[in-house]
Amino acid sequence: MRAISGIILIAGTLLLQGCAAPEPSQDLLALTEAQMKIRSIQTRAFDVKDRQLAMRGVIAALQDLGFIIERANEPLGLVTAARFAEPNFNDVVGVTVTVRQQGESRMMIRANAIYNNKPIEDPKVYQNFFAALERSLFITKE
Amino acid sequence: MRRALLGGTCLLLSSQLAGCVTPTQPVELFQLTEESPRNKAMQTRFFETKDEVELLSASAAVLQDLGFQVEESVQDVGFLRATKERSAREYGQDIGRLFTFLLSLGGFIMPVDLHQKIAATLIARPINPEATRQEVRIIFYRVVWKGDGQADRQYIPPGQQKMEMLRDPVMYQQFFAKLSKAVFLEAYTL
Repeated sequence: MRAISGIILIAGTLLLQGCAAPEPSQDLLALTEAQMKIRSIQTRAFDVKDRQLAMRGVIAALQDLGFIIERANEPLGLVTAARFAEPNFNDVVGVTVTVRQQGESRMMIRANAIYNNKPIEDPKVYQNFFAALERSLFITKE
Repeated sequence: MRRALLGGTCLLLSSQLAGCVTPTQPVELFQLTEESPRNKAMQTRFFETKDEVELLSASAAVLQDLGFQVEESVQDVGFLRATKERSAREYGQDIGRLFTFLLSLGGFIMPVDLHQKIAATLIARPINPEATRQEVRIIFYRVVWKGDGQADRQYIPPGQQKMEMLRDPVMYQQFFAKLSKAVFLEAYTL
């Protein structure tokens, strides 16, 4: 009998702890190794000379993926877009893409994606995005 | 007795664990689907013109004719975003609300759609290096706000959102028909 009450007690404390929100840590703004890794996942270089062309490619790729373009800033090379996580209409996926010139004929393209205000850290997601971007940048119909 | 208790705690624990799982982030959100080419064809038209600016300003004018307010525009990348807000009341929903109210003997008051924001984003861009051919792609979507309701004694507060892409081909055809009239050019599909 004692064992059972012990189990229930442990279970109870576990229940209480399971859903507690994590405390904000001290190194919230520090650059950790994990962040470096995420940055490398989110960034890719493309052999494109014209920055505007690259931006238009990014926008077209996002539209192909069903994203709604919310904001664009040509001088800064910024594109912000969002879409609903269809068929779930209460979740939102947001993405910010920056296009930066690197050297003469290369563009660094970085994408940050969030799912309901939580950053997406799955490398697969970014691989898919860059695959779509590649298609839109280099395969032109006609 | 003992077994039942143990089983009970196990069940309770596992159900709690399930509750804490964060919703997964589906990988396929950044993947092209079967519908993507079809949607693209519906949302895109081509115009034989060099004048991208004219095409963009004509698009803005057509959106204005349709009652939209232009909210954002970036000429360098040929981008426009416009919205309009309208009532989302539908008779069907009100009738449904009445029936569920009667059937549940007054226990359930279904929230109905009250208000909606219809939005459009438009991109115009040249598709060949000489820029003699332009592509215009527009995407319509809407956000719907619900009114309040009641389930048993629990009050359902208003304002719950629903978002959806608008994929009615007629809507797009109408827009492009107006646009091609506005620029005196024929709109091509691929």
